[in-house]
Amino acid sequence: MREAFPARMLQIHIGERDRYQGKPLYEAIVARCREMKIAGATVFRGVEGYGETAQVHRAHLARHEQPIVVTIVDTAENVARLMAAVEDMVDTAALAVSQVEAVRLQKTLTSDKG
Amino acid sequence: MLSSGPAKKVTIFINEDTQHHLTALHDSILTFLLHKGVAGATSTRAYAGFGSHRLLHTPKIEVLAEHLPVRIEFIETAAKVDEVLPTLYEMVSDGLIEVQDTTVVKLARKQAKPEAGAPHERKAGAAKLLRVFLGENDRWHEEPLYDAIVKKLLMMDIAGATVYRGILGYGAKGHEHKASFLHPMRDLPVMVSVIDTPEKVAAAAEAIEAMLQDGLIVISDAEFVRLVRASRGTEA
Repeated sequence: MREAFPARMLQIHIGERDRYQGKPLYEAIVARCREMKIAGATVFRGVEGYGETAQVHRAHLARHEQPIVVTIVDTAENVARLMAAVEDMVDTAALAVSQVEAVRLQKTLTSDKG
Repeated sequence: MLSSGPAKKVTIFINEDTQHHLTALHDSILTFLLHKGVAGATSTRAYAGFGSHRLLHTPKIEVLAEHLPVRIEFIETAAKVDEVLPTLYEMVSDGLIEVQDTTVVKLARKQAKPEAGAPHERKAGAAKLLRVFLGENDRWHEEPLYDAIVKKLLMMDIAGATVYRGILGYGAKGHEHKASFLHPMRDLPVMVSVIDTPEKVAAAAEAIEAMLQDGLIVISDAEFVRLVRASRGTEA
């Protein structure tokens, strides 16, 4: 299956230690994406960074506070829907949306979602 | 100037001891090609052979070891070959000249390391940003797909590519990719990111699409600023 469509890419910049209802915020965001039937989400961990608090986030031996980026690609409506949901979950975060051309490939698996 | 793509390959077969203006003909031909600015030429001495005189030249018998064949090869653009061919035609009084079409795949030249303190050259402009989402376990002919993609892009002369490994995700395959301390999982999400001109990115997307089984390719507009350390030598 090959599907080409104009889409939106949402990137949510947060910290590794950010929490939502007791579990890591990035896990909560991915779980919310699944609930909302978003096509996919990927979490990346940065090496170093700083943000709202202007505090450098770096890896320490015992304490990790590295930057996290959650990347989501989906249609404009789905991304708008998700953004509203994510805004309620996060404390401080940066959300960036960009316009993209997406090509989805699925050659081996037949989609069971239809 | 020779570059990757279609080119001509010229092969000349002559005798080792053929003379040309008091020097050996093969030396004379190489000197001529060097002066004409041909990209490169190789002269190889053969082990044995025979030619139009129907006499087998072989090192096994001393008397026949005198006229061993020499083979000179060079690869150049069609225009350059047209330029040097008439002279070669005249020089080779006894032998054979052959020209064939060929394709140059790689033409690399070791470059001097740029000086540490050299100033940066700033390049800026509009470009396309390509991102490919795949799995760490995806394979292409028994090697990791992200490795294969990076190698392919390198061969296509794409400006650069970076591979990122995610720590969590889901997508085309529908299952969660996650690693924890007790359950290290080797199918984490991977993203390859590429920035180049729109034409180059379109070519790259097409090549990646042929290699990718399940995944997502995303292209967006980008503004780039590239800092290139000016090399000491002249840029080719």
